[in-house]
Formats: sequence, C-alpha cells, structure tokens
Amino acid sequence: MAESLMDIKRRIASTKKTGQITSAMQMVSGAKLSQIEKNSIAYQQYTNKIREIVTHLAASQLIASARQKRTTKATTNGIAEQSVRHDISLSNLLVERPIKKTGYLVITSDRGLVGAYNSSILKAMVEMISQNHQSADEYAILAVGGTGADFFKARQMNLSYEYRGVSDVPSFNEVREIIKTAVAMYDSGVFDELYVCYNHHVNSLTAAFRAEKMLPITDLDVSEVTDKDQEYITEPSVDDALDAILPQYAESLIYGALLDSKTAEHSASMTAMKSATDNANNLISDLSIKYNRARQAQITTEITEIVGGAAALE
Amino acid sequence: MATEQKVLTVNIVTPSGIVYDHHATLLVVPAMAGQLGIMANHEPIITPLEIGEIRVKRTDNPAREDAIAVNGGFMEVSHNIASIVADSAERARDIDITRAQSAKERAQNAIKTASEHHNPDELRRAQIALQRAMNRINVKNHLL
Repeated sequence: MAESLMDIKRRIASTKKTGQITSAMQMVSGAKLSQIEKNSIAYQQYTNKIREIVTHLAASQLIASARQKRTTKATTNGIAEQSVRHDISLSNLLVERPIKKTGYLVITSDRGLVGAYNSSILKAMVEMISQNHQSADEYAILAVGGTGADFFKARQMNLSYEYRGVSDVPSFNEVREIIKTAVAMYDSGVFDELYVCYNHHVNSLTAAFRAEKMLPITDLDVSEVTDKDQEYITEPSVDDALDAILPQYAESLIYGALLDSKTAEHSASMTAMKSATDNANNLISDLSIKYNRARQAQITTEITEIVGGAAALE
Repeated sequence: MATEQKVLTVNIVTPSGIVYDHHATLLVVPAMAGQLGIMANHEPIITPLEIGEIRVKRTDNPAREDAIAVNGGFMEVSHNIASIVADSAERARDIDITRAQSAKERAQNAIKTASEHHNPDELRRAQIALQRAMNRINVKNHLL
C-alpha cells in the first residue's frame, strides 16, 4: 500500500470540504440564474414591443426614406447632426459608411469557474477575426469582462476599450456606460460597424456563440408585418419620432445581448460547479473503498502477527 | 376596421416588464408638443414622449383615473392598441415618495456641484434626474 491510512483519511476530508464549497457555489449560481431568468422574461416583453414598433416603421418606409435623406446629406456637407435626446445621433444609426474597420464588442465573464464559457467565446472570436481580417488595423475590440480583456491584451490584439465589474443581474442604467462608449467610438469613426459577440443562453446545459450586427441598423425583417400599407401619423415630425425610437432600439439590443450572456454565464457556472461536486463525490467514494481496504489489510497483518507470535511461543 | 370598437387597450412596457395593461376610454400622454389625448379608433400614430404624467380613464370604472409617471420613451397606437415603451415608468400607487424626495435632493446637489465645476454634461444629466424626481413627486401628489 503506497498511501498510509492517515494520508487517505486526510484526502477524504479535504475532498469533502472542496465538494461542500462547490455545491454551495452551484446553489448560488442557481439562485442567480433563476433571478436573471425572471428579469430576462420581463425584458423580453419590452424588446419584443420595441422590435414590433420598429418593424412597423420599417414597413411603412419611414426608415428607408430617412436613411436616403441622411445618406445624401452626409455626402454633401459631411456634418453629423446631434441627437437632442440620446447619445446616439440618428444619422449615424442609419447611414451605412464604407467599412474600413470593424468593431467587436466581446462579452465575457469577470471571474473563472465557469467551465468552457469564456474559452468558447474567445476561440470563436480568434477564428472569426483571423478569417475576416488581414491586419490588426481592420478591427477594434471592445471587451466587457476581465477574462476577455486580459486575453486580448496578452495577445496584443487591438483592444480599444475594456469594462470590468458588470453586476450579476445588470441593470439598464449600468449598461448605459458601455453603450455610450461604443456609440461614441462609432460616431468618431473608430469603427464603421459594430458586432456584439456573446454566448447565447439556449437552456441550462447549452449555450451558443453569437455575433450580431448592432450598428448601423440594417437587418429589419419586415416580412412579419401583415398590413404593409398602414400609414402612421408622426407627431411632431418623422425625424423626431425616429430620433426617439431608433436610439432606444439600439440600446435595447445591446442590453439584451448583455443580459443573455449573463444568463449563459450563470448557467455555465452552475453546470461547472455541479460537475465539480459530482467529481468530488466520486473521488470520495473511491477513496473510501481504498481506505477500507487499507484498514482491512492492516487488521489482517495484525492478526497474522498475533497468530504468528502465539505459534512461536508454543 | 370592420367593427367599431369603443375600447382602447393601453400597455406600458419598460425593461423590467409590463407596468400597466388595461382597457381605457381615454388616454392622455405628454407628447413633445404638449398633452395628447387618444381615444378608441385613433389613426395609427407614433410619437416620442416627454418626462411627465400619463393619465388613463379606465372602462371598468369611469370615475377613476390612473396616473403613471413616465420618463420619456415613445408611444405607438395602431388597431386600438396603444403601446408605450419607456426606460422606466411607475404607477402612482407604486411610487415611493421618500425615495423620490431623496432623488430630488441628490439631483439638486449634483446640479450645484456641476455648475460650480462648469461641467455641462454632468449638469444636463442632473437636470434630467431632477426633472424625473419632480415628475414622480407630482404624479404621486396628484393621486392624493
């Protein structure tokens, strides 16, 4: 027997303690997951409503005409007008510039112990970048979450913004800062289109990598609208209405992505901790068998010694 | 529309879910150019909203009027459904008056420091925060 009885006993005790910690962490992640899932459902209603209204607008051709107007205006005088109510200006949301540089907003977690959550995002990102870009001048990375920021920094990829410390259940106000920075960079021409890359929460066991184009607003699916010829009155003007709606739409998309990725993070963390606890339990049962065998072996040795000793006396 | 309806469905959604969902005979919203009244069978309309008070006359109790404090956002009316989408909205009965008061004081302090430091961004933000707090207090007091 390589290990002594005491050694095995010690190992069992320490594994038990680790198992307790991981099972507690699993429960914490589970609680966070159910909390954020409740939030996500409420948020889903909001985002569906916004999407519905925006597709209505798109179907009534208001957006297309506004885009046209702005594109011609931008080429003639080149001055971007400022939005009154939001940080994003309307013309910037709509005008499609020639793509010289692409921005990626990569959402990862701040902490570890989340299984393959971070590595799957980062792997997909590296793959995507090496496929689409020849040099580092063609893209800029905005990292939300420490793991991603450290990863891109270590590889000296073009990291232009990092944000750490997103709370477990992020609020809309918290995310404002990220959105504002991303949009300001887009405005000032750091990049000409913005993708948000994150893990989409499918269910508690699976998550899928997603890269969605957020800026400029292009992918509006009007096919789901049934009455295409419905005409809207806009009060006080088309521009004012779009100026209120589209920035809010863009914000809601980014916030939605963050909420989704946080949900995936909690569920990944829960799954990772669950398998850690299971492993600890397996290890404990293996070690217990080993311990019992070792104890039995010791007893047998003692009996043999006693019997041997007694025989020697006769 | 085949049949003339007399009922307008009002729903108000924010990032934290549906705040309000009822049938109404009259809806009054703070549009950019002033108060805007919407009744059933209104033409489809889209309008941005100001920080202010939404008032709803319900069908089930015509004598009562619901008041909701809204922080901007916009409204779409089509097919007798009025959808109001806002960053945040609170029904008068849900407003916590002490929180609103402290938010007001905080905003006033922020305005003071921002104007001392000549920070126009901060000043604008604080002014909006003040406006929101005042709005909530007004809506709450309106109810009493």
